Amino acid sequence: MLILVARRVVRLLVVLVGVSLVTFAILQVSGDPVALMMPEAPESDRIVLRQAMGFNDPLPVQFARFVGSIARGDFGQSFFHREPALPLVLERMPTTLLLTVLATGLSLAIAVPIGIVSAIRRNSVLDHGATFVVFLGTSMPVFWTGIMLILLFAVQLRWLPVSGWESWAALVLPGITLATFSTPLLLRIVRSSMLEVINLDYVRTARAKGVSEWLVICRHALTNAALPLVTVAGLQFGLSLGGAVITETVFAVPGVGRLIVGAIRQLDFPIVQAGVFLLALIIVLVNFAVDMLYIYLNPQIRVR
Amino acid sequence: MKRYVPLATALVLAILALGAAPGDVTAQAKDTLTVALPSHAPTLDPHMHFERVGILVNINMYDSLLHRDIKLQFVPSLATSWKALSDTQWEFKIRKGVRFHNGDVLTPEDVKYSFDRVIDQTKKSPQYGNIRAIKEVKVIDAETVHLTTDKPFPLLLERLVFFPIVNKKHVEKVGDQAFGTTSPVGTGPWKFVEWKRDQVIRLEAFDQHWRGKPAFKHLNFRAIPEVATQVAEIKTGGVDIIRNVSADIQPELKTHPVAYISSTPILRVHWIAFDMRVAPFDKKAVRQAANYAIDKQTIIQRLMAGLGQQVATTVQPLAFGFDAEVKPYPFDPKKAKELLAQGGYPNGVDITLHSASVANRPEFEALCQMLTDVGLRTTPRLWDPGPAWNKFSQTEGKGTHGVYGTWGNYSVFDADAVLHPLYHSEPGGWYGKWYARVEGLDKLIDEARSSVDQPKRKRLYTQIQQMIREEAPSTFLWTQYDTLGISKKVQYAARPDEWLWLFDAKPAAR
Amino acid sequence: MAIGTLAPPMGAAAGLAHAAERSRVWRKFVRNPAAIAGALILLTVVGAAIFAPYVAPHEPTRQSLIRRFTPPVWAEAGKASYPLGTDQVGRDILSRMIHGARVSLIVGISAVLVSLVVGVTLGLLSGFLQGRVDTVIMTVVDVTLSFPQLLLALAFVAALGPSLLTIIIVLGLTGWERYTRVVRAEVLALREKDFVEAARAIGASPLRTLLRHLLPNTFSSIIVMSTLQVAQAILQEAALSFLGVGTGSAYPTWGGMIALGRDFVSVAWWLPTFPGLAILLTVLAINLVGDRLRDALDPRVG
Repeated sequence: MLILVARRVVRLLVVLVGVSLVTFAILQVSGDPVALMMPEAPESDRIVLRQAMGFNDPLPVQFARFVGSIARGDFGQSFFHREPALPLVLERMPTTLLLTVLATGLSLAIAVPIGIVSAIRRNSVLDHGATFVVFLGTSMPVFWTGIMLILLFAVQLRWLPVSGWESWAALVLPGITLATFSTPLLLRIVRSSMLEVINLDYVRTARAKGVSEWLVICRHALTNAALPLVTVAGLQFGLSLGGAVITETVFAVPGVGRLIVGAIRQLDFPIVQAGVFLLALIIVLVNFAVDMLYIYLNPQIRVR
Repeated sequence: MKRYVPLATALVLAILALGAAPGDVTAQAKDTLTVALPSHAPTLDPHMHFERVGILVNINMYDSLLHRDIKLQFVPSLATSWKALSDTQWEFKIRKGVRFHNGDVLTPEDVKYSFDRVIDQTKKSPQYGNIRAIKEVKVIDAETVHLTTDKPFPLLLERLVFFPIVNKKHVEKVGDQAFGTTSPVGTGPWKFVEWKRDQVIRLEAFDQHWRGKPAFKHLNFRAIPEVATQVAEIKTGGVDIIRNVSADIQPELKTHPVAYISSTPILRVHWIAFDMRVAPFDKKAVRQAANYAIDKQTIIQRLMAGLGQQVATTVQPLAFGFDAEVKPYPFDPKKAKELLAQGGYPNGVDITLHSASVANRPEFEALCQMLTDVGLRTTPRLWDPGPAWNKFSQTEGKGTHGVYGTWGNYSVFDADAVLHPLYHSEPGGWYGKWYARVEGLDKLIDEARSSVDQPKRKRLYTQIQQMIREEAPSTFLWTQYDTLGISKKVQYAARPDEWLWLFDAKPAAR
Repeated sequence: MAIGTLAPPMGAAAGLAHAAERSRVWRKFVRNPAAIAGALILLTVVGAAIFAPYVAPHEPTRQSLIRRFTPPVWAEAGKASYPLGTDQVGRDILSRMIHGARVSLIVGISAVLVSLVVGVTLGLLSGFLQGRVDTVIMTVVDVTLSFPQLLLALAFVAALGPSLLTIIIVLGLTGWERYTRVVRAEVLALREKDFVEAARAIGASPLRTLLRHLLPNTFSSIIVMSTLQVAQAILQEAALSFLGVGTGSAYPTWGGMIALGRDFVSVAWWLPTFPGLAILLTVLAINLVGDRLRDALDPRVG
């Protein structure tokens, strides 16, 4: 098992190098960075800056330097804020994480019970109804869902604040908006893994022995469904971080996604790179954690 | 133990997340004024950015030497009087007894320091270009400062209206970084409380402000990027002022129980820059044809709710140098077709126009249709501001055959602030260097910007306006209005310089 | 980072070997009214897209500033010639939606085709060659999975400039990894099977044998995944338009219509609502069909 963990750690590092390669590429495909930084400067000034910033070196050398800087936590100075890029991103990270965790939690809270009931009462009105409603949520563009929720709950009913991050009440609408984005897949997973498990022999046996149906479901079926659920929830976390970009813009939430979108418009590449890399890092780590959990939960792998 | 693993994970995540827990709810109290901006500037240091959203915040925290009243007249602020000693030297008398938010008294040294830190090229202030002409700032005595420019600089007073004076001792003590983020100190009506980036800038009334106390104790600037969200906020009382309300939203706010609107003409002029280097716009007749093809009145009435004024050139009626004798091109599609044929295109010609002005998409699309109707068959390319657009329009100047855009002069009410960037073909020019090629125009612009003899400048600008109207390096369109949406509990009016000078805001009498 | 190596969570379906099986699937599919409704909606949308110039009542780009913001026909000021109203420059919304269906479907289908080609090829290579190639490809899969897809697409489209082609390629190149995983898993499973060994023993090319058995075996899950991916791509295009990197053309797209219409939602609700409904119904239909297709193709779910 130790070897397995070690192998995963090595893999983690390799993936991180790959992630930095893509991050590095963002700047490269944008064209001449110096021309973007100083569009009004005469060519002679640009040549000096290009030399000073090492843009004349071969790409692999530049990339190696880039990885080196990342390892030291140095993404360079934000052109726009004139401060180191990393702290600016880190400052907003907890907000985005809170939003994403909230939404993922909400998704699970909706998907697990509905998924179980759907599986047990398969093809009932409830099953179809629940599936339909959840599909409805995922079939709308996220920003549209957000604007509709604002109009309904904040402007018409006045139950909740329109936007901002000033109170707990302000978290509700962005949380729901983002959750509609990730609930359907989770629901599907719960439902189908429950279906698989429910007809397995030992569950049938338990039921035959007169153990209450709900107890059986909770004890056996759910434990088994947990495995794929954890995997997918980990993957969904990454998707939700992407959806957070839009949610943050609609609800004026001061998070990383909005920072990156703004930075893309302002040609502020250090921020874009730091932000994209950090979000990727979080996803990589979450997936790594899920992986470890998987090894831990799955006795077969452990024995091997 | 296995079953506790998910629980533990959840707990860890929850603890992590608690770091981001939002603060207490601050109810919208009567003495609070909340303004919605699309974003925050990168810094609160008034010298280290040149963003409209930052200027709007800065002017309420800092004072400049001069102020401009709502009628656009220069009025005293930190300078009580000023006069020109020669073509290149100015004298300013500094107001006595003015206090900074930290209690320090304003001195001429602070004034000198403020200029020096922008002129100092190692600090790379984005405002350097605005006051580049200032060569030296000299403290004469306890209330007098002399400014020397390297050549006659007619825009000096215009530039000083937004040139905030900072506290030398304080900035040197805390350093530039902290000054711009956690401890900005000025002499303005409100002082700094806190800044939650991308969320809210909180200010509090400064009791010892030299003009007296502002009417609202608390002033908040919230960053809300979405227009639809801003509109929802003002309807529910979440914010008190929103900016740039589009003509189509106005009727709704006009009749809304909690809000009203306030409009005023501003400097922002709309135009289509032609690439005069390539066909078909290398021909004067074709450029003129485009000017005749646009039905400006219909667009102003139908798309802009009448809130616009058609113009003869890009020089705005509010700017110094404007000559009302130069008349706008009338809408004359027949003439347009004739000119197009004269220019060598009797069967019309296919062109592509570009625009990254997201707020003006309907106008852009209407313009393209009108051009198409006379035979300038236009394919519109809609861009959004961003790296690709910058590369395309500014670093390579590939905007064939033209670009539709707007220009606001950075609130400088002088013809030079629009003519130089749009039409001067030297490298420092903005659009001009790529697109405009009018024989003799560069020389006239240079001549007008290096004289402080205002009657002479006015004559030169008349000459320039006649020249560009005839040569038509652009399609000249209209100047627009700015419209604020304002909560009924606040009494305030939009200003022609688009400033939010909130010292003038008062609680509405109920 | 075993995410890439896990078997796909969705049930891999068995092959559609003979006609009886096929008709069973068909019966199961048609028994489901939701799936039928979904299929009908899809047919309508595809039909509208193909025959857009013939069925659209107006030119999608023809403006008239006089009749801007005409409400839908059933509203008080509505006009019969503009059944769903007009937009901010007086263009017919119904016509724009019909033409917009083209772009949305082109984006959705092309992006998925790009994903398919890349994903399946890499999956085959990975499963078949194994060893170092496999490691490299699966690392690339893990790297791709590590980015918030939308953000990466945004950054690259913003850098490359707005165009339909850029959007298709970027969306295609950020969604291929699930195909790779499915195909690879299937190849690995098949390799173990006796008949492949047997084929090799009698001198048949193992590659050909694999391909012959592989394609039918992965066919159903690929179809199901593709339908859902098309839906995702349509939504992603809308999201990119919202964030300010659209197709850059005046030719309508559903996403672009909502993105531009959203500012007018309180004065002319029909501007963003109808294209919003079009996306909703299309994506819903695709999801319903895809979902029932999965159930129908999966023999374990009775």
